[in-house]
Amino acid sequence: MKNPESFDHRPDPELGKALRAALERSDNSAFVARVMANYDRALEQATIPTWEVLASWFRPGVAAAIVALIAGFLFGRVVLSGGDSASIEMAMAPAEGPGGPGLAALVTAADPPDASVVFTSLVESR
Amino acid sequence: MERYAAQARRVARAVLGDPDDADDAAQDGFLSALVKLAQYDSRRPFGPWLMRIVANAATDRRRRRNVRRAEPLDPSLVGGGPRPDAAAVQRELGDRLRAALAELPERRRTAVVLFDVEGYSHAEIAGILGIPEGTVRSEVFHGRRRLRALLEDWKEQGK
Repeated sequence: MKNPESFDHRPDPELGKALRAALERSDNSAFVARVMANYDRALEQATIPTWEVLASWFRPGVAAAIVALIAGFLFGRVVLSGGDSASIEMAMAPAEGPGGPGLAALVTAADPPDASVVFTSLVESR
Repeated sequence: MERYAAQARRVARAVLGDPDDADDAAQDGFLSALVKLAQYDSRRPFGPWLMRIVANAATDRRRRRNVRRAEPLDPSLVGGGPRPDAAAVQRELGDRLRAALAELPERRRTAVVLFDVEGYSHAEIAGILGIPEGTVRSEVFHGRRRLRALLEDWKEQGK
């Protein structure tokens, strides 16, 4: 036994042994059996039912579908209203005059174009 | 599970005092740990992880049941009194130690048990109890002082 007033960073075997005896209970195997008997029930309570998982997916899924529908609708509307083949050909044709090489040349170029050239081409193609 | 059953029951008993309550809490802790087993990081030691769950389960149970505060000790339990016959000596020492433990604040007695009985380090106990390591050292020191004095007294009476 160590001095009651002393500070020691190591466990005190004598005190530990006495406390262990004071706190110990026998029949550990019965305790383990009891816990295991309750395990299945606890697992069942802790497991989320399949329908709850599906329900949790439902709301964000519906929201994503609505967003996709709206985006698709808007995109389709833009394409149908102004996007006939003539305007696409016009956009892809080389620009005349001092404006620059046009979209077709920019798309097929090996090196990335300067941003100002792209901007000018886009403005001119409209 | 069998390996940690006795330890979990002792730790829960250190928190709760009552052995049946402690077994219920230890069971709660084990079931909770089994259900959460997927969350366990296998690179870390299992004992502190499990003991943290068990200690929390015991503390939760104590709060839920609003367990009475430590009852005043019977002076004969702590202060000495006549020694019973030899067959009951160990039982009486156990009674006194449990009574002395019950006098300590919950965190203090749990820290002492985790350190001196279960052999966890101060750092591990800090993780189990969710307190700074320096606080663990202080709790262990103050808890031990009371319990060691009791044991010394007991030994002197036995001479």
